[in-house]
Amino acid sequence: MHEAYSSLVSPKLAIALLVGVLACCVAGVTFLRARAGQVIFSTLWFNALLVLLAVSSAAAFFSRTWKRKLTLVSAGMILFHLSFAAMLGGIVCNRLFFFDGVLRLTEGETLPNGRVESYDRIDKGRFFDFAWLRGETTLVRMHRNYRVDGENKQAAYELAVSDGDALLHRIIYVTQHLDFDGVRYFSQKEGYSVLLVMSDREGRELYGAHVPLQSLKQTDGKYLYASGTAEGLTPFPFPPPPEQPRAGVLLGYRPSTVAERAGDVSFEVWSVGPHGEPGAERTGTVPVGFRFDAGDFTFVPKEIRYWVGMNVRYDPGLSVILASLCLGLVGMVMTFVGRVRQGARRRAA
Amino acid sequence: MGIEQVLFWSAVVLYGLSAFGYIFGLISKTEKLFLVGLVAAIAGFLPHTASIAVRWSSGANPFITISESLSLGVWVSVLLALLVQLANRRVRVVGVLVLPVAFILLGWAGTLRTAAAPELVPALQSGWLWVHIVGASVGFSSVLIAAALGLIFLLKQKRQGGLYDRLPSPQAIDDLSYRFVVAGFTMYGVMIVSGAFWANQVKGTFWNWDPVEVWSLVSWLVYGIYLHLRITFGWRGQRLAVYALLAMMVMIVSYWGIPFGVETFHSGFRIEH
Ligand code: HEM
Repeated sequence: MHEAYSSLVSPKLAIALLVGVLACCVAGVTFLRARAGQVIFSTLWFNALLVLLAVSSAAAFFSRTWKRKLTLVSAGMILFHLSFAAMLGGIVCNRLFFFDGVLRLTEGETLPNGRVESYDRIDKGRFFDFAWLRGETTLVRMHRNYRVDGENKQAAYELAVSDGDALLHRIIYVTQHLDFDGVRYFSQKEGYSVLLVMSDREGRELYGAHVPLQSLKQTDGKYLYASGTAEGLTPFPFPPPPEQPRAGVLLGYRPSTVAERAGDVSFEVWSVGPHGEPGAERTGTVPVGFRFDAGDFTFVPKEIRYWVGMNVRYDPGLSVILASLCLGLVGMVMTFVGRVRQGARRRAA
Repeated sequence: MGIEQVLFWSAVVLYGLSAFGYIFGLISKTEKLFLVGLVAAIAGFLPHTASIAVRWSSGANPFITISESLSLGVWVSVLLALLVQLANRRVRVVGVLVLPVAFILLGWAGTLRTAAAPELVPALQSGWLWVHIVGASVGFSSVLIAAALGLIFLLKQKRQGGLYDRLPSPQAIDDLSYRFVVAGFTMYGVMIVSGAFWANQVKGTFWNWDPVEVWSLVSWLVYGIYLHLRITFGWRGQRLAVYALLAMMVMIVSYWGIPFGVETFHSGFRIEH
């Protein structure tokens, strides 16, 4: 026991750990690159190494510097090493309880915060509980070229988050998040979606839905907005299941260069008969708000709205981590000032 | 060539002349050449300052791209070297490492120059940017001076006579070098911590192990190890001087050499739409 303790506080271990972490970092950014996160930085052993570093650096101070006379230098060093330990404590706590999800909303849409289905992607700590995410979130509007004090923030999301009587109505952009009861919302990405309405030959509306479009970077650097995934264009069934699909549709959208939410919508439509048999195939382009004749029925791209993907985060360890970062800096500055004063005194003597 | 270009390249040429003065002054132990070095350094510093000022006054932030970042790092280093020389005439020779490095880095920056961006991308419109930039450039300059003092320590061990006898004692040089390392380590800490706060402001995460972050951690750990070698293992003098020189190279590579080229958080947070 005693041996374990003395090796824990030994300066040799400190150096060995520092060199070890350094070697992992160098290997990560030189050889492994994109795989570094997976192979090193998020592994159990690497994080255990960091925890050991924090524990031993704190232990070293309780055993050595603690007993010494308190000077500016030693106080600074104590502060630095303790904050190092506190920071890792905060990180571990955060790891266990955090939540990180991508909430995707189209303008006008509202989703409950505490439901798994509301999120496109989820990452969470072992002890996180969905009951902590209360209330619901509405995307009121996406503002393009939003300006604050003359600076262009490009995209800003107007949000309303509510829980019972509590309501928060805010505009967020890249350097401005929203904090609702400890849950933070960050702007991340946005795109277009088309309100597509299908009507029969008599003009009766059969079905309508918002179709979110992907942005696909073209070889000339311009963007094409179309149905599909990041990998490429794909048609989608319309109306979407569980309805009986009447057509496969491939949509493209070319935004107008002069007006917001205007432009042209291109269609490729494959009709499907009532029993699933393939029907007519039509292609064409119409401006937003106009009717496209697909043979057995018509489509109207009624309006363009934006969808946004927000990062929704809950990080209970964050304030400890950030505070200890600051304290660590204060410790370093104290040590520095102390050293300079020591030097001046030595020179004077 | 625009006025800014002329100013910039005049600075490069004058820093080159200054580097020549320092190096040959040291080799031939000629004080006059040192004076040439010092005067040329000051003469280069003026157009260098003006080139940054011209860029800034055009409304752009002049500290964003790799070329601008190199230029700022060199600017602060030359300024710090001049201040050190004024404060303590006996260590006037720090120019012998600082100005050749300044010449090379600024020349390199010159080959990478691009037109100033008219407006900052939204993610960079943050007060943390300034803390971050100051931490990085002052941190780099401090460890560069520390390495220069390490070099002087090594030279003084081997040579005697003339100028070498007027240098401070080896122990004083060693001690001064150490204090610049502590200062650099602290400022680098400022850079990393402000970067963490900034990332938290923009993305809600304070650390992502992205290449730029890991590279800056690498150079920070290199100096953390320096401090432990000195404090807990009692290293002094020659070994630490060599370490400080090598560490400075790690610093340059890890700061400008590799990470600026890779696409990360730092290349402007492109937002897909
Ligand atoms: C394994 C963890 C660590 C241990 C066991 C440890 C141990 C020590 C010890 C024993 C001292 C000297 C105290 C004395 O004898 O006066 C010291 C000083 C110091 N350590 Fe650590 N340390 C650890 C981690 C770190 C880390 C990760 C850093 C940052 C990179 C760091 C930075 C420093 C600094 C800045 C000093 C003061 C140097 C000075 O006096 O100027 N330590 N550490």
